[in-house]
Amino acid sequence: MSLLLQGVALGVLTGGLYALLASGLSLYFGVMRVVMVAHPAFLFLAAYLTYTVHTALGVDPFLALPVTVPVFFALGVAVQRLLVARLAPENVAMMSVLLTFGLALTIEGLLGTFYTGSYKSVSMEYATRSLTIGGVHLPYDKIIAFAVAALTLAVLFAVLVRSRFGQALRATIQHREAARLVGVQTERVAGYGFGVGLATAAVGGTVLALITPFFPASHWVWIGKLMAIIVVGGLGSVAGAALAAVLLGVVEGVVLVTVDATWATMMFYVFLFLTLLARPQGFFGGRLAHRF
Amino acid sequence: MRTASRGLPLLVAALAIAYPWLVPNYYLVYAGALTVMYAAMATSWNLLGGFTGYVSLGHSAFFGLGAYGTGLLVTRLDVPWAVALPVSALLVTVFAVGVGVAAVRVRGASFVIVSIALVSMMNLVVQGWRSLTGGSTGLQVPSPFPGLHRGQTHMVFFYLFLVLLGLALLSWWYVSRSRFGAGLRAIREDEDKAESLGVPTGAYKVAAFALSALFVALAGGLYALWFGSLDPIFMFSILIGSYMVLMSLLGGVRHVYGPLLGALIVAPAGEYFLIALGETQVHLAATGVLLILVVLFMPEGILSRLTRGRGGPSIPEESAGQRLEGAAR
Amino acid sequence: MTSLRTEGLTKSFGGVPAVHGATVELRDGQVNGLIGPNGSGKTTFFNLITGMIRPDSGRVLYRERDITRHAPHRIAHAGIGRTFQLCRVFPRLTVLENMLVAVRRTRLRELLAGLHDEGEAERARRWLHRMGIEHLEHAEARDLSYGQQKLLELAAVLMAEPDLVLLDEPAGGVNPALIDRIVTLVRELNAEGRTFLVVEHNMDMVMGMCDHVIVFDRGAPIAAGPPSAIRDDPRVLEAYLGV
Repeated sequence: MSLLLQGVALGVLTGGLYALLASGLSLYFGVMRVVMVAHPAFLFLAAYLTYTVHTALGVDPFLALPVTVPVFFALGVAVQRLLVARLAPENVAMMSVLLTFGLALTIEGLLGTFYTGSYKSVSMEYATRSLTIGGVHLPYDKIIAFAVAALTLAVLFAVLVRSRFGQALRATIQHREAARLVGVQTERVAGYGFGVGLATAAVGGTVLALITPFFPASHWVWIGKLMAIIVVGGLGSVAGAALAAVLLGVVEGVVLVTVDATWATMMFYVFLFLTLLARPQGFFGGRLAHRF
Repeated sequence: MRTASRGLPLLVAALAIAYPWLVPNYYLVYAGALTVMYAAMATSWNLLGGFTGYVSLGHSAFFGLGAYGTGLLVTRLDVPWAVALPVSALLVTVFAVGVGVAAVRVRGASFVIVSIALVSMMNLVVQGWRSLTGGSTGLQVPSPFPGLHRGQTHMVFFYLFLVLLGLALLSWWYVSRSRFGAGLRAIREDEDKAESLGVPTGAYKVAAFALSALFVALAGGLYALWFGSLDPIFMFSILIGSYMVLMSLLGGVRHVYGPLLGALIVAPAGEYFLIALGETQVHLAATGVLLILVVLFMPEGILSRLTRGRGGPSIPEESAGQRLEGAAR
Repeated sequence: MTSLRTEGLTKSFGGVPAVHGATVELRDGQVNGLIGPNGSGKTTFFNLITGMIRPDSGRVLYRERDITRHAPHRIAHAGIGRTFQLCRVFPRLTVLENMLVAVRRTRLRELLAGLHDEGEAERARRWLHRMGIEHLEHAEARDLSYGQQKLLELAAVLMAEPDLVLLDEPAGGVNPALIDRIVTLVRELNAEGRTFLVVEHNMDMVMGMCDHVIVFDRGAPIAAGPPSAIRDDPRVLEAYLGV
């Protein structure tokens, strides 16, 4: 029983990071109808940059954020302006996947060239200890990861709901043409939307570096996981993605402690294919899934 | 133009058959066999991607399964290789039907995602199922031609892959001139409209998916017999799947020879990089950059460029008519 | 005999009913008009009949056979063909290929038969000839004018030999000469025994062409009858003018 609780607790903690990353994907999809396959590759890029900052300067990995977040925001704007916006309007959905897939390959190749293919990790002294509540051990690094992810998500939502930029962004997501008619510069907004998306990847990367060892090719596993989350949640539904993230995080956590890591990862794909068979549009809204 | 479109393939075929005897060393025979293998795989990929517009980045799943299926039948059950190869490919095809039923329920980008998930999943299974597959330590498959030395083996497999390529091209041609093919292309253009005209789109897509998987699985099986050593990371690598896509897009997905042309460019380039730069990750980045460039600047592929550039009279009816005539001969 | 009957057909999008309890009956061998203000659910009704979307409740019967929730291709096989509001052809296929997409039955031998199977190609050419576009056989559909595309779309639907043809705004965006041609065609095809259901905003066309007119408002029929009766029906005026 306590094993099960342990799995659930770990799952919820990891689910926070999944939710943050999945919301980034929903953001790209919302503003540009783009499925950003390179999101996890950028995530790992951020993790490696964090690793460099940490090993070269010996500082806490979170101190990398003031550098990586603005850099990634600029990168996101550049990716949207220079690449995605240039795609021929017919068949954007498909071509954008291939485009971002090419980006992911490029990033992986560069990471492999500069950092070699071996595992890297960032371990902090506080990360090795854990909090014990009622027989359930909660490692501090996972708690921190969850807290940072949750905080970032909260900031993201606050920006989307409160700020003028957020309003313009949501208007663009809901109806691009109408938004343009009322004076929203949708192209610029889309660029910033990409920037914000990649900025969340920067935060996620630092968190990731803290909780798990990584190597260049491991972003593919993350694509699989995130895409499973998005399909289960329903493409284009932010709330659905967050719910599915926590749900699948818990399933993964429980299987991880009761069976093994292979099956834990496998659960994502099992859920993915079951969802496709039972309800291709996803379980939490998102009517768009099978169209894109 | 018409003589060129009939004569050129014959010339290329003759050159291909003579190739192993024309090159000075066995390394080039090996590189040729590899190129023909990729050409066969890209052409099979195009049976799905070109006709229906469903882009699969996960076709290396079928490559890997075909290879492991053949390897396991030969090593664990002592099945002769000539039996193991088709049996394994047929099993993979049946599996592809099952996967296809789920996968083609989603369109466009979602389908791409599912295909990536498929290959990751197969990688996990084969790595995890250590007792059967040897896991990440790999699986050793004995050579089907123990009497031949390495160079001669390359030569045999060059011709085996050439036969496979021929079969894949023939299937493409056959499908392209059938009503089944017209239905598949209609799915690419407007799936709902096709359905309203009575095209059973689900069944069509699954059939194309499975047919495409069949040839890729055969390529995988041949690869297993050729190299004799399988490792899940390579066999189920996303890179092999993306090669098929890149080659097809580069050459032109709407043309029967598009993927072949793409393979003739990309595979030797890859081999060259491997020699020039050694075993680095740079080729991954190069593949990625090339894919980005093709998607941005030439999504219709080289052959579309060429045919449009040459046949470009301003009256569209005529040029279309000539094209069809050319295809019919 | 009844061709098509719907019983209490209902479909809502996000809580807003698009079609609400629509009960409609079409008699065999008639040209039926379906009119109503924008947003009254006419196209959704088409999509429900042809299986493109699934109803929340209600039934669709074709020749007394329940076809509710059948896949669109099975409904096409049952003998119902349709065109789309914004004409939909396959742009990168040639005109002849467009014609050969339509499938009446799924027989393996038929499917693997060549595109140049002369019997089918001849049948396709006859339809194209009837539409007056047989000279465009080898052109890609995207190179046709809008009017030609409309004719091609209709020809491709007729290739499947449907008994009931649903036309969604056949006169939309085409010139008066072509409208006359379409009216004549529909009349001829009807005389050969095909039943039609036509959504159209061009009242002259509807009144001149149809035997029976159904008026939709807010997702359900509010009146039905011969054109002369519909023209003077106060409920129809009310629906259109909103008084």
